[in-house]
Amino acid sequence: MLEIKNLHAKVDGREILNGLDLTIPAGEVHAIMGPNGSGKSTLSYVLAGNEDYEVTEGSISWKGEDLLDMEPDERAAAGVFLAFQYPMEIPGVATMTFLRSAVNAVRKARGEEEFSTPDFLRTVKEKAKELQIDIEMLRRPLNVGFSGGEKKRNEILQMSLLEPGLCILDETDSGLDIDALRIVSDGVNALRSPERSMLVITHYQRLLNYIVPDKVHVLSKGRVARSGGPELALELEKSGYAEYGQDEASAA
Amino acid sequence: MDLPVQQFRTEAEQELLDLFERSVDALPGDASIAAMRQAAIRTYAGLGLPHRRVEAWKYTDLRGALINVPPLIAELDVQVGESELDAAIGKACLGLPAYRVVVAAGEFRGDLSDIGALRDDGVEVVSLAQMLESPADWLTASLEDAAGRDDDVVIALNTALMTAGVALRLPEGLTLQKPIHLIHLDMHGALGSIYTRNAVVAEKGASATLIESFGTLGVKELQRNAVTTVSLAEKSAIHHIKLQREAIETIHLNVWAANVGTEARYNAFQLSSGAALARNQVYVRFEGENAATDISGATLARGKQHCDTTLVVEHNVPSCESRELFKLVLDDEARGVFQGKIVVKQDAQKTDGKQMSQALLLSETAEFDSKPELEIYADDVVCGHGATSGQIDEDLLFYLRARGLPEDQARALLIQAFVGEAFEVLDDEAIGDALTAVAAEWLGTPLE
Repeated sequence: MLEIKNLHAKVDGREILNGLDLTIPAGEVHAIMGPNGSGKSTLSYVLAGNEDYEVTEGSISWKGEDLLDMEPDERAAAGVFLAFQYPMEIPGVATMTFLRSAVNAVRKARGEEEFSTPDFLRTVKEKAKELQIDIEMLRRPLNVGFSGGEKKRNEILQMSLLEPGLCILDETDSGLDIDALRIVSDGVNALRSPERSMLVITHYQRLLNYIVPDKVHVLSKGRVARSGGPELALELEKSGYAEYGQDEASAA
Repeated sequence: MDLPVQQFRTEAEQELLDLFERSVDALPGDASIAAMRQAAIRTYAGLGLPHRRVEAWKYTDLRGALINVPPLIAELDVQVGESELDAAIGKACLGLPAYRVVVAAGEFRGDLSDIGALRDDGVEVVSLAQMLESPADWLTASLEDAAGRDDDVVIALNTALMTAGVALRLPEGLTLQKPIHLIHLDMHGALGSIYTRNAVVAEKGASATLIESFGTLGVKELQRNAVTTVSLAEKSAIHHIKLQREAIETIHLNVWAANVGTEARYNAFQLSSGAALARNQVYVRFEGENAATDISGATLARGKQHCDTTLVVEHNVPSCESRELFKLVLDDEARGVFQGKIVVKQDAQKTDGKQMSQALLLSETAEFDSKPELEIYADDVVCGHGATSGQIDEDLLFYLRARGLPEDQARALLIQAFVGEAFEVLDDEAIGDALTAVAAEWLGTPLE
């Protein structure tokens, strides 16, 4: 279970999160929606441990442990996974090498045995196939020259390999066409389980047709302004974010 | 002996002259070589040791760095076993299948070298000291050509004081399947100077890979001066690889000078991680059309190490191509220097020259100095240069850490990725893997 209480966070001296409360029980999928600038991505970075974001007040507890006390890699080992809105390109690091280093680092930290090369290759091939990722793509440098859809599928592949307990998807739908959206959503849905919590961050309701959440929260000015069931997303699709203070035009 | 009068000599400058006086009678060579040595020491006496006001040494003050000059080493009976070689050169490079040639303590070591195998496979290979006693025409041409670069103090001192090395000639059409691995070592002891010279001649259509590695057996304050000349006839190809991992107190001066004939290719790659002060000079002179060179490498430096790579490519004839890519990783107070000079003579139309140097600074006190110099006298050429220096990208670091990589490992992976780009030019996968392993070892092991 993830428990966020009264979370305040700053970036570049500007307060973005302003008393956010959120609880996600094991096995549930929660969606966070909200206008641009409401703090959606900030929440995802704070959860993953990006040092550019300073937590000034509040607490985050994950499975009873203080998440704020952990380094980003310790959080990954503890099962926190952030699928980035903009996955990084790293020339000079083959995707396969990266995947293997990440998986083995996490397994090691969890006290599990590292994968042997054949076992690892078999697992990657299996999961890549489900996400319709060409194995040749994994021999290329990490995300370099990948299309938007390929990058997002690569994120979901990493998520599936690292077997996290908390999956945070930050605007995973951005830049995806309808086919890619379906593949990515199928990949995410395949990972739904009674032990796993998910936080799906999105601006648009469209993604939630594919990944149907248990709860929807609307973020406004750095806190949860409203919570409800999946029907809340549909309502927002009609009414827009106008009543939540900011909209796309004013966010910039 | 008549010496040109230099206004002022530092102690070390005078000691170099004294070293020559003391050693000259014992140095190998016939009368023609003796005359060459005398001419060279006069060249040195006129120039003195280079310092910051000499443009080509703007960032490397050799005169200031040489406090004194230790005695010349030329010892034959130095114990060199596999364990010593392992420690000096490292398993990764030592393990490459290659013809081994060892030059240790200023002497050529036939007993440790695969001379028989090289000769069986068609290579003419002779101890340089032996050949200096009655030099073949091709060796004399090589030596005279190097001596012709009479503004270069490193070469002048080398010509004056060279004690050993190898002369290699690849006859017409010979393609050597395995690389030649030339291992340069010192000896066990406190201090000393080592001057070695190698001459490589590739006749028409011949091709080979030459790896030169430099390691330390035990001399603490070694002054190393090593020169290799390479002469490439029409359609020949030489891949010339260097691994320098000498002890941290070493002063390492090295020149590779290549003359490249029509449609020939000279590729040089240098990986440097050792020495207190290293100066790597690579000179490439195009003498025939449609020839090409690629000079690349990586410098890994920390502590107070100073590593200077100075390249001069002379496009004297039309339609030749040159490529340069150097990557430097600099930590602590290390200083990296890259000077790349491309000269395009008036006749050298259709020249294609590109140069890039990139430094990754791991600390605020590390320094990178880059000086591109393009001298272009022809009007139909494509030439470009670039230099960058930067730090580790924090966003990339966070991405890797968010995937579970501990910070140290994430940093090492990013540094390796940065350096790795330079290794991509190596055609030979085994050599590429071996050098990558050396770089990985450097990243994983703190400076002692």
